[in-house]
Amino acid sequence: MYQDLWRKTICAAAVVLPLMSISCNRQSVGQKQPAVEEQNAGAARVGTTGTTAPAQPEAGTSSTATASDAATERDADAIKALEDMSNYLRTLKAIQVHATTSRDEVLVDGQNVTFSGTLDMIAERPNHLRAEVINDKQQRMYFDDGKTFSVWARRVNYYATIPAPPTLRELAEKLSDEYNLELPLADLFYWGDSKTTGDIVGAIDLGPAQVDGTTCEHYAFRQKGADWQVWIQQGNYPLPRKLVITTTTDPARPRYTSVMTWNLAPSFDDAAFTFEPPKDAKKIMFGRTPPGNSE
Amino acid sequence: MSRPMVGKTGVVVIVVLLAGGTALVGQRGGGRGGGGHASRGAARTSVSHASPNVGGNRSANVDRSANVDRSANVNRNADVNRNVDVNRNVDVNRNVNRDVNFDRDIDVGRGYGVGDGCCYHPVARATAAAVTTAAVVGSAVNSIPSSCSAVSVDGLTYQQCGSTWYQPEFSGSAVTYVVVNPPR
Repeated sequence: MYQDLWRKTICAAAVVLPLMSISCNRQSVGQKQPAVEEQNAGAARVGTTGTTAPAQPEAGTSSTATASDAATERDADAIKALEDMSNYLRTLKAIQVHATTSRDEVLVDGQNVTFSGTLDMIAERPNHLRAEVINDKQQRMYFDDGKTFSVWARRVNYYATIPAPPTLRELAEKLSDEYNLELPLADLFYWGDSKTTGDIVGAIDLGPAQVDGTTCEHYAFRQKGADWQVWIQQGNYPLPRKLVITTTTDPARPRYTSVMTWNLAPSFDDAAFTFEPPKDAKKIMFGRTPPGNSE
Repeated sequence: MSRPMVGKTGVVVIVVLLAGGTALVGQRGGGRGGGGHASRGAARTSVSHASPNVGGNRSANVDRSANVDRSANVNRNADVNRNVDVNRNVDVNRNVNRDVNFDRDIDVGRGYGVGDGCCYHPVARATAAAVTTAAVVGSAVNSIPSSCSAVSVDGLTYQQCGSTWYQPEFSGSAVTYVVVNPPR
């Protein structure tokens, strides 16, 4: 089925070669990717988190602002590093990212369990996106051709579409707010669109660290509902290479980790962003997120 | 996304919803082989924009198990006359949405196999246990038996499993199957 789609896409493409090179890139990136160990190292710690927060040394300061004020540092340099990274992302017209991900789910008894996956994405400003997510639970492809956003569930062969907003950031917001759908690596689109450091109450620089053999600077941030860390590549390309988000609203503190490999000169054809449903694919609806919190 | 069909079966459905709906949800936590565990939430995947339904908020199971709410919804849908009142229509809409939320709740277990896989048949089990009608209209499951057949009615995709009809939909990134009245 997947092959089928590629074939169709290729047929539709006016220029075949660039698209083929995407395909090749994807695979070679995947093969080169040695990120699994890194990821597992992160996940292993999560596995010991168990059901209660007290094991976390910082748990006592997580809930109230007053406690944070006393104990939490907000390093201006760390904030600036984040802003520099965002500014740099804003200069990129097109990106290709491969990521290995792990995401905790909290069972009803509070135990964390971790699901792993991979993600391959090509994005072009302002509103072109092609992303493939394969994890233990789902195989999904996401497309934004500038007019229509589509999601395709490969194994069950269902797809759904909605009109696409003008930018990927707005798409990420719309999907999250109205459809309860989290766009893969949505932070990249937020960071690359406007300043987002206002919510951060804690910021520290933990020094140099290796991610996939590249030297990065390791930062940790705190904000309402999440403690998170980002590893920003040192040098002239301040890219986020690893992201760890700890959800602090659940006492089990589940974590999401993604380790990213970047290609800043992706080759693609516009057809790569257009979803052409496989012949026997069936269109279904999006369930909508209830107004809930917003009302 | 509205499901006028919910109203058609009227009071019977309400009762079944109250009784059976709970059973169905409860069933999920039970013996789903290879991944059959209910979850209360998952780690958020973005720091920039918190979805109202992801991360900690999604773990608000208490909210979601408020079955009473749901049955109220059915009641209102059944009252056709209220549609005359425009304001109340707004109300009704909201309830319909909440109904969708219910579907999503099921989805919270999102992903376990997610229907993309195959083999867990919660409805079948729930039915056997509760000895009610074949399915609870408005409820949702993550997967359906492989013996079901896809049927297109008026441009909409359904899955017919014997006398039970499902309408698949995306609930977030997951596919869930909402039990509906036979469309034909």
